[in-house]
Amino acid sequence: MNPPSLKISIMPSKPAKLKVIWLQGITCNGNTHSFLNDLSLGSLLESVEFIHHPLLPCSKTLQELVKKLPKSDILIFEGAYKADFERAGMAMKELLMTLASRSKHIIAMGSCASFGGIFKEADSDHISGILFDKEKESGPLREIREKVITLSGCPAHPKWLSFVIDMICQGKTILVDEFRRPKELYGYLVHNGCLRNEYFEWKVDCDTFGTKEGCLFYDQGCQGPFTHGSCNKILWNDVSSKTRSGTPCVGCTEPSFPKRELFTTKTYMSIPAEMPLGIPKRSYLALAGAAKSFHIKRLEGKLIDDNA
Amino acid sequence: MITHELIERIEGEAVLDFKTDKSGAVQDAEIRFLHFRGMEAILEGRNALDALVIAPRVCGICGHSHLIAAARMIENAYIDAGFSLSITPKAHSIREITLSCELIQNHIKWLYLVMLHESGKLLGEEPSVALKALYASSKINQLCALFSGQWPHSSYALPGGVTCDPTHIEVMQALKILSEVERFIEDEVLGCSAEAFGNHMSNDSLLLLEGDFGKLLRQMDRLGLLDAGKSHGRFLVLGDNAESIANGVRSIADIALVSEDSSQTFAEGGNTYAKNALYNGDFYESGPLARALVSKREGISVMHQRHSDSALTRITARIDEILTLTAHVRQLLTTLDLSHPSFITPSAIESISGSGVGIVEAPRGSLIHRARIEKGRIASYSIITPTQWNLGNGTMTNPGTAQKAMIGAESTAKASLLFRTFDVCSVCTTH
Repeated sequence: MNPPSLKISIMPSKPAKLKVIWLQGITCNGNTHSFLNDLSLGSLLESVEFIHHPLLPCSKTLQELVKKLPKSDILIFEGAYKADFERAGMAMKELLMTLASRSKHIIAMGSCASFGGIFKEADSDHISGILFDKEKESGPLREIREKVITLSGCPAHPKWLSFVIDMICQGKTILVDEFRRPKELYGYLVHNGCLRNEYFEWKVDCDTFGTKEGCLFYDQGCQGPFTHGSCNKILWNDVSSKTRSGTPCVGCTEPSFPKRELFTTKTYMSIPAEMPLGIPKRSYLALAGAAKSFHIKRLEGKLIDDNA
Repeated sequence: MITHELIERIEGEAVLDFKTDKSGAVQDAEIRFLHFRGMEAILEGRNALDALVIAPRVCGICGHSHLIAAARMIENAYIDAGFSLSITPKAHSIREITLSCELIQNHIKWLYLVMLHESGKLLGEEPSVALKALYASSKINQLCALFSGQWPHSSYALPGGVTCDPTHIEVMQALKILSEVERFIEDEVLGCSAEAFGNHMSNDSLLLLEGDFGKLLRQMDRLGLLDAGKSHGRFLVLGDNAESIANGVRSIADIALVSEDSSQTFAEGGNTYAKNALYNGDFYESGPLARALVSKREGISVMHQRHSDSALTRITARIDEILTLTAHVRQLLTTLDLSHPSFITPSAIESISGSGVGIVEAPRGSLIHRARIEKGRIASYSIITPTQWNLGNGTMTNPGTAQKAMIGAESTAKASLLFRTFDVCSVCTTH
């Protein structure tokens, strides 16, 4: 079995590979393993080489890296930031700041690096993302904010990362939103492309987990309608997504992640407390009331009648 | 002489403090983990169901095991609180499938990214990126995602079952991916059929294997390490078929005999964040070798009789487990009855006050999640990870499992490689 990317292609001339450092803060390694899922890793490695990576072969170990902090084209930072958190005996304050100042581009890989994420919960006053602390742009790299690209998500999708790297390789401008997330990736909502969209349109809820039918927004806590991300456009592991497997979106790409009560929809007067992004409550109510009154039989039954 | 070595290319880093004699041979080794995130404290006070999102983030490579452990823990808390709760055979099988996928990808990555790489480096080689192995591990993660939605960090298992409602389309895709991975194992890892591999184990001729696993064994042989790495010979499986083996005696394993020792931690004046996990007050080895011996898998049992718990047996057990797991996944996929419900809705979590334990056989061994739930909230949460069993610190006279395996090694570099045969995970160990 050979990955398709291993096929040898004859290139007219080989441009120099971009030099990349993958540095970890307070992390679970989830983004490292998400990245290793990229089925086109071979192609990516034709245009980049790792000065340091926690698992892949690279030219410098962590110990060698801290001895002489090198220049790089891209610094990928995974995990949350805490000034006195150490790697190989060097505090993150010095390690990140120096490597960042010597790098042309910086990628905050995952929600911990982007906003603080789950590990911020342990010591909220001292743990943050590298540029943002939740919504606030008060992270250590604020002075060099223009160099930072945010790839929030817990984890971030490997194709989101390879897209950004490819854009950098080709010298193209990446349009970003207010959190410096690429608009082409985060302009969508997780809701876009969800297979349950029709149930949302006609306000058919879901009375239990574990079915193909019904929208998870009304009871099960799905945050897809107000969470930025292309999870249902660029599928996970190329085949699925949380909502496609019946799991509510937990809003992991947003600075507010992790919220609480993740499997229940907060309601106010029995309608979801948080509206689909940009939709005024009054418009939503008017439309929902009308849609609900139709009782469409096809959407109330099973999608596939007999599963046996 | 005392030396400190930073061990990289594991999940996170570890520090080994070696005490060596004049020849450089290892007399003692202390294992230290310097990163701590406080996962249990993050979980406490939350809705118990939030654990299904938070707990997987203990670890990027075995987060799915943490998800299943958390789900089982909550299910047992329901039962402890006097509620009935069951999951269908379909939900059970799907959880088994996705969990097995996580173990398979872990073992493939360990073989290629860690063992082949580090043993090669010790022999002066500069290994290249193992793209074919990463392709195979990505494919098995894809199989997992057909049911779990994504890997890593799915939250698709809830008390009462699973959230997915697969059709035959997913099952057929999964079988196709599985065939691809099975071919990779036979063609690339072993260089022969599963059956021929079994014969090599029986005939003690694994060094003749043409695949990359054979290459690893030959590299370990050149380093003189195949017979090294022996430890206490005490084994523990707390998940399915719970059993302990000590001094050749098998007993049903009892969770009540599990304890944690935090005397070496910073909090108590020590040098590490890791707590030791003990069974009946002793260090036990957990993981693929323990599972193979407890379930009396033929090839590994024969190897253990010949080579006891040496690096050769320990490494082979992890590779052999891949074959057991792929066969298990195939059997589950072909017998999956899609007509069962995926999920049986339990009573509201807010009505639950009780204690629960969730145990999973994770890639590196027995994983335990324990919690006390009060009216649906987590009052206390405690996690014991597999690496706490294997990587604990004892004393010179009663060393931990991996410590004992390292003592006597000819050099600190060789001891470090023996350390890696346990498949080290720093992020799990301290969590």
